Amino acid sequence: MKALDLDGLTISEITPLIRKKQISPLELTRRYLERIKKLNPALNAYLAMTEEDAIAAARKAEREISKGNYRGPLHGIPFSIKDNIATKGVKTTAGSKILADWVPDFDATVVERLKKAGAVILGKTNMHEWAKGSNSINPFYGTSRNPWDTTRIPGGSSGGSAVAVAASLCLASLGTDSAGSVRNPASLCGTVGLKPTLGRVSVFGGVAGTGGYTVNHFGILSKTVKDCALILRHIAGHDPKDPLSADEPVPNYTKPIGIPVKGMRVGIIKGGYFNEGLTGEVARAFEKALGMLKTLGMKIQEITIPHIDLVPALQAASTRPEANSDHDHYLRTRPRDYSPGLLYNLIAGLLIPASVYVTAQRVRRLLCQEFDAAFENVQVIVAPTLFTPAPTIEDCNRGYIEADGKRINLADRAGNFLTRYTIPFNVTGLPTISVCCGFSPSGLPIGMQISAPPFQEGTVFQVAHAYERAAEWYRRNPQL
Amino acid sequence: MKDAVRRLNVEYRFNLSDQEIDLVAKQAEEAALLFEPLFEVDVTGITPLTKIDKRVKIAKKGKK
Repeated sequence: MKALDLDGLTISEITPLIRKKQISPLELTRRYLERIKKLNPALNAYLAMTEEDAIAAARKAEREISKGNYRGPLHGIPFSIKDNIATKGVKTTAGSKILADWVPDFDATVVERLKKAGAVILGKTNMHEWAKGSNSINPFYGTSRNPWDTTRIPGGSSGGSAVAVAASLCLASLGTDSAGSVRNPASLCGTVGLKPTLGRVSVFGGVAGTGGYTVNHFGILSKTVKDCALILRHIAGHDPKDPLSADEPVPNYTKPIGIPVKGMRVGIIKGGYFNEGLTGEVARAFEKALGMLKTLGMKIQEITIPHIDLVPALQAASTRPEANSDHDHYLRTRPRDYSPGLLYNLIAGLLIPASVYVTAQRVRRLLCQEFDAAFENVQVIVAPTLFTPAPTIEDCNRGYIEADGKRINLADRAGNFLTRYTIPFNVTGLPTISVCCGFSPSGLPIGMQISAPPFQEGTVFQVAHAYERAAEWYRRNPQL
Repeated sequence: MKDAVRRLNVEYRFNLSDQEIDLVAKQAEEAALLFEPLFEVDVTGITPLTKIDKRVKIAKKGKK
């Protein structure tokens, strides 16, 4: 174990060693717990460590494996869980003051499935208050810090999860994504972040009020695409506890990995949607990434989504009334236990007419049909994940960044500008991954999204893995 | 919109200051403007989206 370097370690690397009993899950877990104790005070990735449970789970894994009862690639693998996903007997705050002392008496289905696969849960990760934002500046639990530059945000709302993965404080993490909350921090922290198809993964056990119903997904943050594929196979699938979960069979997602992508067609959405606010450093990294896809033999072509500019309205019209449905009780009983900004947003949400909500759901279907039509000509669609690398905490507090000699506001009437590029894939429910596609001149990671038709996560993994291996950005780790 | 916020303030007992009522009303007005274009879309015969289905038409590799 002494020779094992946790920096950049992946599940795919460690799994065969655990299986062959060359690495002890107990020792591995202890190493991660030590590293968390050392680095978490500066990074604030974890809100709580579940040390005793983790040691017990690791010891059990070790015992089972030594007896020849190996459960599979997640057996003995240390994970973290975002703090809006219910964990039995462990505080689940959703980054809020209101739920500061809530201890669920049940596990979310995804947690149950991870435990069944033999995973070890190290703790709960920090997040934006109620998952209603994407900078993870949390007034109650402190700000999670970007491990590439601790003066910068990690993104969010699954900020702590991305920090934990990027800083090698776990091997993977589960997060939630209703507006980009997995992909956004993955992009800013240089990890892989997957939002599967809506319904692919059960959202039973997600804290009500942290994502709504029609655009909310549970997702995965990992070091590599292959790790992500391994995890998805274990957490996907119908769940009777979640009526919106899909009854589609769960394939072996690692199977498409390594299949050549030559000849596949890549769509770029025409028009200004993904140019709005786009900084030069992200534009250059994205262009280079497209060049790499071409080198791999993929063909790039422009596609049209006629109603793409309505996406911010669709997102707001869907999530805000849904949030209000969940928050009504607390708005009536504990309004001042929300941060002021969130309270004002929720109150304004009470004034959205029902006709707006229903019309938005009808326009969403139209938008999905437009994406369906585009996917008749291309296998995947790619786009930058964010318009900028990680802003500083100071940028977020003052509300804008300065780039290319311009001021870009981080919020406007359409909502949170940091989620502009990710929300098209929330309102359409399409499986979408963010992979690192380069670094800014100051050494900050930049992300690219790859999206495919519903339930085609395998295609997403195939293309993302091919790019990841060719570009090799995954080899870089923050210096801590 | 300010009157609507004031009514909510009473109903929910938020105890908002005048400045806070202004802020919330401004947000609600901006949201209303954001939603206006949704009503310009022809959604005749289109039912609300409630679940994502597996679609059948998917591009084949190399096929335009």
